[in-house]
Amino acid sequence: MSIAGAAASPTPAPTQSTPARLVRLDGVCKSYGTVAAVHPLNLAIGRGEFLAILGPSGCGKTTLLRMIGGFIEPSAGAIVIDGFDVTRLAPERRPTNMVFQGYGLFPHMTVAQNIGYGLRLARATPAEIAARVKDVMDLVHMDGYGGRMVTQLSGGQQQRVALARALVMRPAVLLLDEPLAALDLKLRKSMQEELRRIHATTGGTFIFVTHDQEEAMGLATRICVMESGRIVQDGSPEEIYSQPRSRFVSTFIGEANVMPGVRRDGHVTLSSGLRFADPGADEPVVCIVRPEKMQIAATTAGDTAPCCDLSLPATLEDAVFLGAAVKYSARIADGRLLLVDSRDMALRRRLGIGEAVRVGWKLDDQRVLADR
Amino acid sequence: MRLHRHALLMGPSTAILIALFLVPISYFLLISFWRVRAYRLVPDATIEQYRIVFTEYGGPLLYTFLMAFAIAVVTTLLAFAYAYFCRFKAGRHGVAFLFIAIVTLFGGYLTKIYMWKTILGSSGILNSAFQMLDLIEDPITVFLFSPVAVLITLTHYTLPLAILPIYGSLRSISDVPLEAARDIGATPRRVFLDIVLPQSRVGLLSSFSLTFLFAAGDYVTPLLVGGPHTSMIGLFIQSQFGHRLNAPLGAAMSFSVIAICLATIAASAWILFRLTRPRG
Repeated sequence: MSIAGAAASPTPAPTQSTPARLVRLDGVCKSYGTVAAVHPLNLAIGRGEFLAILGPSGCGKTTLLRMIGGFIEPSAGAIVIDGFDVTRLAPERRPTNMVFQGYGLFPHMTVAQNIGYGLRLARATPAEIAARVKDVMDLVHMDGYGGRMVTQLSGGQQQRVALARALVMRPAVLLLDEPLAALDLKLRKSMQEELRRIHATTGGTFIFVTHDQEEAMGLATRICVMESGRIVQDGSPEEIYSQPRSRFVSTFIGEANVMPGVRRDGHVTLSSGLRFADPGADEPVVCIVRPEKMQIAATTAGDTAPCCDLSLPATLEDAVFLGAAVKYSARIADGRLLLVDSRDMALRRRLGIGEAVRVGWKLDDQRVLADR
Repeated sequence: MRLHRHALLMGPSTAILIALFLVPISYFLLISFWRVRAYRLVPDATIEQYRIVFTEYGGPLLYTFLMAFAIAVVTTLLAFAYAYFCRFKAGRHGVAFLFIAIVTLFGGYLTKIYMWKTILGSSGILNSAFQMLDLIEDPITVFLFSPVAVLITLTHYTLPLAILPIYGSLRSISDVPLEAARDIGATPRRVFLDIVLPQSRVGLLSSFSLTFLFAAGDYVTPLLVGGPHTSMIGLFIQSQFGHRLNAPLGAAMSFSVIAICLATIAASAWILFRLTRPRG
């Protein structure tokens, strides 16, 4: 429990459930008029998890985070943190602290005053404030900046101060709302490292919201993908990437070749004419293959596409050298462009733009999903 | 070089300021040390005029100071409440409410004074209403020609002007820090005291100074709605330059008022910044 929570007068009554899970959302939803921002959802978050809520803008991820933080009251449902029902508690009385998008630093205060403000409110002694502020400034590598005005800091430094201001409260749950969105690519990468290190050092429970799938993959131990107010998939980054449960998830996370088709009598026929056995109901389907699972070979040079179960004739349209890999774009019979990532550098010299090629993949590497 | 070229932009206003403000005011500062003999200015280097100001006009000077201070405090508080409402409570209608306040500036200064005469007078709207409701028998005469009338009239006139600077500084406070403060344990009251108030001090000080200076220098309102004992220093200054033909004394009075005003504003600024200084 944070200092802020401990200082809050009447302590909320504990609910019956034991806090096996630190955070529990039961049927939490939020609607504005007739528009549902978040549909009723259940979510349990374990102690020490680093959870990413990932989705495009407008999917309700920030609304969900703000409900946990106490800035938006749910239309229905309950939010339980550490065994206490906090659904109706104001933000200042919750054991959560947030790192806001845009940071929200107090412009009239120094770095140390910003970080120490919460402790001062909680009536910590000046000695304790000084010690904890110093510790947390060391943690975020801002030691020596205590006397600076926050307006004199760079974006990355402001980000660290915002993080320190939340961490110094020792929250049961740290909420991060698009924390790295405003930083440039290089800084974002190094802050990702920092966040991972801080998560490991503090052993805290972090929930962060992002629209950046790479950020989610790189940071989180668990990802909830949201689409139009619903959690459409919840799992480890590996699971989400290798076993996407919908077309949306497969294309939102990483690149994917999506080939529509129809399943009838246990056989799928793709729009390119390719046919393979796949048991299931008769319905429209999509076949999804990641570019790095695709193979490409020249038809004329007598290259044999190694270990492919399925392959299609195509015309090579583009080959982009990416350093460690080459990204090919090949057009197949139905007019669709397939992406192939290949690490075979020798192959690039043999394949000419405009040439006929074959692209293929293994049955194990494709996912066939009902196309809703 | 670039700076020099751009300094030209300030040229016209600087010229106006020097010609119409700095030169005359220096002249008056000079003659405040002169004397008048037989209605003629005689160059001198005496502080006699200042002695007269503080001995013979100490009363009006103090009265003016207290009156202006009261008006400035009341107006600034009212303006803050209104601007705060516009910025934080009125949602998207905030600008409309601000506009309403500014619209009341139309109608001019004298019109407003006469309006208050009509309202506060012995056969005015207020007294007539009270009499109609049988609350009083004889009209209350203390409404008009009293310090209260001066306070009401000047507060009413300066209020819209005082709202603007405060609204400006409240406008520049972003919402995220307010939420962040709540998040780390601040009650709405603490958010107001620790985050909102310190960030609105420039606006508060501007509004206070504006109102204070206006009230301290005004002589029309006390003349028209103030009573016989409510002679603010502006009236005396005006008469020294007018029918008394004693410009040195008038100038000395003016500079005394200016000195008191500057000192008051400096002291207010110091107190305000001390009170709202972030701790820790």
